[in-house]
Amino acid sequence: MTRFTSPRVAGYAWLAAVGLVAGLASARVELIALAAPFALAALAGAVLLRNPRVEAQLSLDRDRALEDEEVQATVTLTAAEGSEWVELFLPLPEQLKAVAPNPRAVELPAGEPRKLELPLRCERWGAFALGPLYLRGRDALGFHSWEGQAGQPQPLRVYPSVETLHALLPPLETQVFVGNQVSRTRGDGIEFADVRQWAPGDRIKRVNWRASARRGELWVNEQHPERNTDVVLFLDTFAEVRTGVRGTHDLAVRAATSLAHRYLERKDRVGLVSFGGHLSWLLPHSGTVQLYKIVDSLLQTDVVLTFAARGVDILPPRTLPPKALVLALTPLLDRRSAKALLDLRARGYDLVVIEVSPVEFVTPADDTLSQLAYRVWRLSREALRVRYEQAGVPVVEWREGLPLNVPLEEVTAFRRSARPARA
Amino acid sequence: MLALASIGGVLLLLTLWKGWLELLVWAIATGGAAYTATLFVDYHGADGAAPLVAAALLLTGELAAWSLDARWRVGAEAAVLRRRALALGALVVAGLAASAMVVALSGVDAGGGLLLTTLGAASAVCAVGISVVLLARGR
Repeated sequence: MTRFTSPRVAGYAWLAAVGLVAGLASARVELIALAAPFALAALAGAVLLRNPRVEAQLSLDRDRALEDEEVQATVTLTAAEGSEWVELFLPLPEQLKAVAPNPRAVELPAGEPRKLELPLRCERWGAFALGPLYLRGRDALGFHSWEGQAGQPQPLRVYPSVETLHALLPPLETQVFVGNQVSRTRGDGIEFADVRQWAPGDRIKRVNWRASARRGELWVNEQHPERNTDVVLFLDTFAEVRTGVRGTHDLAVRAATSLAHRYLERKDRVGLVSFGGHLSWLLPHSGTVQLYKIVDSLLQTDVVLTFAARGVDILPPRTLPPKALVLALTPLLDRRSAKALLDLRARGYDLVVIEVSPVEFVTPADDTLSQLAYRVWRLSREALRVRYEQAGVPVVEWREGLPLNVPLEEVTAFRRSARPARA
Repeated sequence: MLALASIGGVLLLLTLWKGWLELLVWAIATGGAAYTATLFVDYHGADGAAPLVAAALLLTGELAAWSLDARWRVGAEAAVLRRRALALGALVVAGLAASAMVVALSGVDAGGGLLLTTLGAASAVCAVGISVVLLARGR
């Protein structure tokens, strides 16, 4: 530990010396009387000088939590040779808030370990490493202090809270594996699709006897099979707009988590593409493990400034399986992501753009030029939306505070009237 | 005298306002100088109030230092505050006692002579030496 001595110890010694010398020189006892308490204080400063050995251990009651939950951090302090009291401080990221005082000062007698509880409220998702602790030991009068760090960093992952989604977007085409999504194609399934004339190879149990009796020949029922779908969450991490801890990237991660959770619950395969300064992807898979993989990957995504021109060509082919539904979460701020998404559409992917609106986070200044720039920016965004819609891609706006169900319903409504043209 | 006391007060306020702990000693020294000036103007022998003034100056310095420490929002346990208050009280009372003892002993006729004068001078030299050592350690 590094020792610091308060400048007043030396100052008191200096005052005492001046008082004594002046008292002797002027033969005034009052000056010596004035100097006496300061001499005593300086002496106390010298006596209180020691070398405390304080150790601290930091532990968390768990390493994973959800937003708005509390995590209990426990600090165990021991001092082989103590100081009168110890101030300890656990540096926290802005996403975590200490419920108990942090920093705090506690008594720490030598040889008596102390256990301190520090409840932490997880206010926002993220992957963090808590620690080490900053310690400052002090003597009784605060003449000397000893500062140092202790405790190993503890990992903590805070997962975003999942929004309840009543309905999910069905893809235009399903995959070949069994799932919960009623396919548009016909085959073995439960949902009735149509009747057709019997053909060799059709099973007797599929004969529709009413239709057959009415038409005088054998007719069989056809069903829609239940198939799984492939969903790729495309996260645009080229740029974001942020105000404090709130921002478009934060909203996009929340939406992606909710969508991944819900689609995987439905036994679909879900993949992730984080497209921006740092490119990362997860191949589509199903199951709980995939959900954890996606959420862990989302926690590590960040908006990184880059000037590299990137296209979807650099993604491995299996990342974007054919017939997959691509749900793009983008603030529509960067032309490179817009180009990549339009490229995906041109390749025949079933693309839906959920625009994570940055408008709420932008407040233009009052001057005319700023207002003009703001209006031009809004118009350019509108123009980009029109480009998507001309390509048959539904673009829906999602703002903070609005349930995610609303834009999903908007997409469903869009698809009723507009169908992407086949390439 | 009033001017000196005012300067001391201003220095103290500046210390508290700006958080310059180094200035605290100068504020106390100026306060002490103001008191010393009154002694030389109104000379009536040994002033019995000197221990109280000394203890008050020390208390002022310590409370100012405490308030500067309290600028950092550290949630201190009641026991910690109590311990520091007790230590501060003990220091001030001990300082007052030492100062009063000095004033009281000044009234005792010890006979004077070369030996006591030499002893006094040696004590002063020792005090200055200790001060220098403490200054060096403090840096």
